[in-house]
Amino acid sequence: MTANFKWRSNPNIIARLVDGNDIQTWKARQVVLKPNEACAFIIDGRIGDIVSEKVVHNIGGGLGRHIADMIGATATDRRMLFAMTGPVDLWIPFAADLSDGSNASGHMNLRVQLRKEDIPKLLNIFANHAPLLDREGLIGFLGHEVTTRCIVPAMAKCSSVEELRSSEFQEHLEMHAEVEMRQSLSTLGFTFLRAFISTSKTDQEKLARLKADLDFATQTEGANADALMERIAIREAATLRRIECEVNVERAKKRGEVTIQAETELLGLRKQEAVWDAELKRDQGKADLRMKESSHKTDEAMRLFEQVQARKRDRIQQSQDHQDQRMEKQNDVQVKMMEMAAEQGALTPEVMQEFLRQQTAQKAIDGTDSKTPTPPMSTTCQQCQATLMSDWKTCPHCGTTR
Amino acid sequence: MVNMVGTPLDVLPYVRGIQMVLSGYEGYTKGKRRDADLAIREEIKRCGTRARNHLMNVHDSCFREKKIDVSKAAKACCNTIDQLIEDIDKSPTGMTHAFFSGQRSASVSVLKKLIKHDHDVIEMMTKAVNISNSVEHAFSSDKTVGEIKSLIRQCEQMITSSRGYYSARSTVLDGLRQKKKV
Repeated sequence: MTANFKWRSNPNIIARLVDGNDIQTWKARQVVLKPNEACAFIIDGRIGDIVSEKVVHNIGGGLGRHIADMIGATATDRRMLFAMTGPVDLWIPFAADLSDGSNASGHMNLRVQLRKEDIPKLLNIFANHAPLLDREGLIGFLGHEVTTRCIVPAMAKCSSVEELRSSEFQEHLEMHAEVEMRQSLSTLGFTFLRAFISTSKTDQEKLARLKADLDFATQTEGANADALMERIAIREAATLRRIECEVNVERAKKRGEVTIQAETELLGLRKQEAVWDAELKRDQGKADLRMKESSHKTDEAMRLFEQVQARKRDRIQQSQDHQDQRMEKQNDVQVKMMEMAAEQGALTPEVMQEFLRQQTAQKAIDGTDSKTPTPPMSTTCQQCQATLMSDWKTCPHCGTTR
Repeated sequence: MVNMVGTPLDVLPYVRGIQMVLSGYEGYTKGKRRDADLAIREEIKRCGTRARNHLMNVHDSCFREKKIDVSKAAKACCNTIDQLIEDIDKSPTGMTHAFFSGQRSASVSVLKKLIKHDHDVIEMMTKAVNISNSVEHAFSSDKTVGEIKSLIRQCEQMITSSRGYYSARSTVLDGLRQKKKV
């Protein structure tokens, strides 16, 4: 099985120049070039093919090349320049002063890329340096120039920290870096893609951050307190509501019980009322009957009373008539007596006087005899206001006993 | 796998068109398919790089002359070209056993479509290069900033279209048949 040759053992390695004689072996060796890797062959000082996405067989030579070397039928110098063709981020540290005198430090990100056709330009680096190029080495190549050409001039135009953070500054810095660094990067084979700076906090920013943190802590505490108060208020409201609900439930229970009891009592009362109504009707019926009976008796009594009164009036009339007749007879007798006395000449004043005296006495006696018996004094009933005789013991209309 | 030994006649005009810029191109004939694919990709990248170089010249000059708007436009166009080149660099190339895909073989019709597609992409990229050349020419002939920016945006639009068109090519290479013609 063919052994694989690995030219890159560290992610920071960007490119490596390999001398074919250093990896020459008896056994065949191959290298697998992934899509972001490329290899330029430099044979006898000339740049050969640049390959990528390929398995390069027999990179170390193997037995055939060893034999060819011995007979001088192969190249005398064989080098392979491996490189990463993907974008590479370089973080270049810097510390520069702004125009207001404040100091800013941080890192500048430089994103560069090696294009496949530019890989041989890396020989410009390897001509004077070790055959291994990693990020640190490239930063060493470019750092000072980037700082001098790009960062310091850009910072010198930057008037404040706020401007340093602005997108306009970043855009300007990127364009500035692209313009200033193109030639150097192109010489080394790199293509500039992007650039931006990431500055550390300045003292003013630290102070502002501290203030912001304190304000935030205060606001957080306040928010927590508000939230706690709100929670307590909600719990209080919930508790009160629960108590109110329990009270309402209890009240409803009691009200229900009372209602049931009242309905029971009401039912009894209605029963009693019905009983009382029945009794009342019965009593009223009885009273009506009694009233009817009493009224009948009263009518009968009144009718008898009227008969008695009529008979009495008749009797008084008869007595009056009889007295009038007697008075007329006496007057006739007296007139006759007076006439006889006058005829006889016996009509003296004494006789007249005696005559008048006797006649007066007679009238007085007649008056006493003819005097009409007065009916008894009448009163009224206290219940029905009906007229009652004084000697009645019970009202004939309502039956009330006196 | 269906073998396309020779170049079909109906795609011959496209092959001839590609040969105008790629002399060794013979279509996806048997035994040269991977090389043809690589050559097409390299040509597209080369066109992008050419356009980028023109635009970067304009960018640098405008930045020094404080024409920041033009510089920004040129930089944006360059970024688009970088993205296109990155797309091409990291696009699929196919497998050993099945030419373009490990899952299925490409039919003759797909290969013919691919040839036409390659021709169209290269044509668009050539237009983009011409426009970028016009940008630099316009800048050197004292055209207005608006005209230069307009040309740069035309170039960017062409590059973006090429990028989208190229992604459709990758879809074909991935073995996925397209339902609609791009």
